[in-house]
Amino acid sequence: MSGIAVLGRIRLSYLVVAVFVAMAVLAPIIAPHDPADSDLFRRLQPPFWMAGGEAGFPLGCDALGRDILSRIIFGTRISILVGVVVVSAATVIGVLAGLAAGYLRGWVDVVVSWMTDVLLGFPYLIFAIGLMAMMGPGLLNMVFALAYKEWVVPCRVVRGETLAARETEYVEAARALGASRRFIMLREVLPNILAPVLAVATIRVAQVIILEASLSFLGLGVQPPTASWGSMIADGRGYILDAWWVSTFPGVAILLLVLAINLAGQVRRRDDHG
Amino acid sequence: MADPLLEVNDLRVGFATARGMVRAVDGVSLHVMPGESLGVVGESGSGKSVTFAAVMGLVKPPGRVEGGSIRFAGRELAALTPAQWRALRGRSIAMTLQDALTALNPALTVGTQIIEVLLAHAEDLPAGWRARRSAARACAIEALRLVGIPDPVGRLDEYPHQFSGGMRQRVMIAIALSCRPRLLIADEPTTALDVTVQAQVLDLIGDLRRELGMSLVLVTHDLGVVAEHCDRVAVMYAGQVVETGPTQAVIATPHHPYTQGLLRSIPEPGREIRPIEGQVPELLGLGAQCRFLPRCAVAQPLCELPVHMDVLPGGRALRCVRARGLA
Amino acid sequence: MSPAALLTRLLHLIPVLLGVTVVVFLMMAATPGDPAEVMLAGQQATPAQVAALRHDMGLDRPPLERFGLFVGHAVRGQFGQSLFHRRPVAQVIAERLPATIELSLAALVFALVVAIPLGVLAAVKRGGWLDRAATFGTLLGVSLPGFWFGILLLIGFAVQWRLLPVSGEIDYDAQPPGVTGFLLVDSVLAGRLDSLLNTLAHLALPAITLGLPMAAILMRVTRSSMLDVLRQDYITFAEAKGLSRGRVLLVHALKNALLPTVTVAALETGALLGGNMVVETVFGWPGLGRLVVESIFVRNYPLVQAAVLLYAVTFVLLNFCADLLYTILNPRVRM
Repeated sequence: MSGIAVLGRIRLSYLVVAVFVAMAVLAPIIAPHDPADSDLFRRLQPPFWMAGGEAGFPLGCDALGRDILSRIIFGTRISILVGVVVVSAATVIGVLAGLAAGYLRGWVDVVVSWMTDVLLGFPYLIFAIGLMAMMGPGLLNMVFALAYKEWVVPCRVVRGETLAARETEYVEAARALGASRRFIMLREVLPNILAPVLAVATIRVAQVIILEASLSFLGLGVQPPTASWGSMIADGRGYILDAWWVSTFPGVAILLLVLAINLAGQVRRRDDHG
Repeated sequence: MADPLLEVNDLRVGFATARGMVRAVDGVSLHVMPGESLGVVGESGSGKSVTFAAVMGLVKPPGRVEGGSIRFAGRELAALTPAQWRALRGRSIAMTLQDALTALNPALTVGTQIIEVLLAHAEDLPAGWRARRSAARACAIEALRLVGIPDPVGRLDEYPHQFSGGMRQRVMIAIALSCRPRLLIADEPTTALDVTVQAQVLDLIGDLRRELGMSLVLVTHDLGVVAEHCDRVAVMYAGQVVETGPTQAVIATPHHPYTQGLLRSIPEPGREIRPIEGQVPELLGLGAQCRFLPRCAVAQPLCELPVHMDVLPGGRALRCVRARGLA
Repeated sequence: MSPAALLTRLLHLIPVLLGVTVVVFLMMAATPGDPAEVMLAGQQATPAQVAALRHDMGLDRPPLERFGLFVGHAVRGQFGQSLFHRRPVAQVIAERLPATIELSLAALVFALVVAIPLGVLAAVKRGGWLDRAATFGTLLGVSLPGFWFGILLLIGFAVQWRLLPVSGEIDYDAQPPGVTGFLLVDSVLAGRLDSLLNTLAHLALPAITLGLPMAAILMRVTRSSMLDVLRQDYITFAEAKGLSRGRVLLVHALKNALLPTVTVAALETGALLGGNMVVETVFGWPGLGRLVVESIFVRNYPLVQAAVLLYAVTFVLLNFCADLLYTILNPRVRM
């Protein structure tokens, strides 16, 4: 692919991500309406380019007469928040666990590996659903449930990298100089294994956003009247016969954001290899 | 004089790389007479393998045949359609590769890999599916026997990894010769083998060649191999042929400084090894001058200009400004 | 593979299965609300009656004993009564299981049928428009929220163009006699073409939705594995033999290239288990996944517990088999 084309792709995907982040941050300012403002006269109003639509409600309204565009803008907050918080927490825990397992080995490794294997034995959604059945639905519980399964991903990566790094010269040198184990782990090994961890984290944010949407779609995540893209799609399900826009536009938002994140992550990796 | 079986004239093959166009083969001309064996000697990067990939029509992107002619039995190969190429390969011109371990498909039995060639070029096999397959199977067994593999019937259904290195090479030769081609191109047939096996394989190729009345091209970096098994030799350097002639003559009196260097660098007991000074040039951005100039001990001002192949008496040719002095 | 190696792998499986069971048990034990109370809800039970039921259900025993009981019963397929259906949980699950299996298999078939030819073509015509389209398709496949795509398909095919049905497994009047519980099989057994076609029509959209992410991954694996294989010497040698392009591709190349695809497919089959909850909900498919989701909302915890355990154990075993498959098929290991 020519240099310009790659450059174009980077810029576009980073731009899109930046736009979404801006939407999340500036939501109260840029949203045309209050996302919880329900006006039954506007029930299932079509988007502005269709008959019966209004420019003031560009993407139409849902079954409770709430502006879809505003809800999508506020929904950005949930998606990005959940994605970033879950992956960040999971990465911190996973890195520490992986470092400990990979470097200290022995019973620490056995326990961590066992926990990892057990957690990996659950298909993703099943585990989250099981936990949420126990804890009840809601945003906070969902973040906890997702993070609980998510930490094994960076943990495995870090453990593998640590195992490899253990045998390198710079670690042996540090050991010879009498450095403590903790010192070696945190100051010598960690900086060198961060690159793959960050690469994985990027992809995982995209995946977690989709998972959050799925859980909210099933009704287990965010609770009304909070707007999450997933729950918006669920709301529109009953109306696909006459009001397709209620379910469609939130999904477009998910697709755009996730696609942009994946593209941005991909291109960055290709740059590293270039 | 009879017509050559293979005639390559001014062949040029280029590769598009990130840093520009590289001419791996730049104006190569050589020929092989019926029943003769030609040794093509050169280091890695001399263009010898690419030349014969072009002869087989197997140059793939980013490589491209850019010019020149290749004639086989009087037929110009550049004009062939893909179907015609497929009829030619394996049937009239066959090729063996350097390492039989990678050249044989690990997922298919040896028998399958011989039989499929026979079936692909099956003019003289009987009609009817069943008769055809059993005839092909019989030919395959005969081919394995010909190359000296014991218990060919049993080994037909075995996989390549079940054979030893030397046996695998023989299998590859059996595959190549199964349709009795008129020309065999053996690319580095001994490089992947250890010394004891090398001689066996070379002798085998020589015997079969005489038996089948086949022409042989032996592509190698080992001048010693050529000395023993080839009627004529062509020495290649940096994408060009620099010297050709009957093997004995060229070895007795090498004209080109590179050939002289090659001969000097053959290890001999009691004599210290004398490698050729310098390194093979980068093929990118070569000037018009003689390519061996940076390493040549007898360079002259004339060497800065392009040097062509000159014909010398005794069936020899030389690409060197000193050729006129030797004519 | 040697029996000893097989044995060690099996042994490694046990702590994982045990851990999974512990986790599932803990999940349910920590659920707020008393199961006995829930069961007797609306029946104006006295505290004594609730206590009696708790004793019957073994809820007043120490946790470790309860866990032992749980495992003991689970192994025998007894998961208690479904609070909602008033029938044994195992029975309810068994009724809904065939539908889920049928959907998952259909998704798998779809993924393989789409991914392999596309992957091969993309590799062979590398850099061409098909290759670029397929690569983008892969990216799309993993970026698309499955449930949303399913809804889009519904809007398109079922609502706008009225080509395919909106929900359910089969129309009521087209049902074949239930022999195996698998509609496709039963239709064939009963010789009823209308049932078969009806089932296929209902199966199409959910199977595509469920199988799409897997197809995306498999296409990428097939493409890269094919590219790897096409670079090999044995392909050049096969061409030097004058074999037809078709034979070189299908016999020489594909046989070697499919190995990674098959093993990834085996590994990803487990992911289908996770996905079918959402897909079944979108399409109203009467399978286990939708049952689980519904059960959560009605607090039918025994069923949720049993289902989660079943999913997890299946997943672990599937991954184990996939690992095994890889080791067996890998020629380097065989050598």
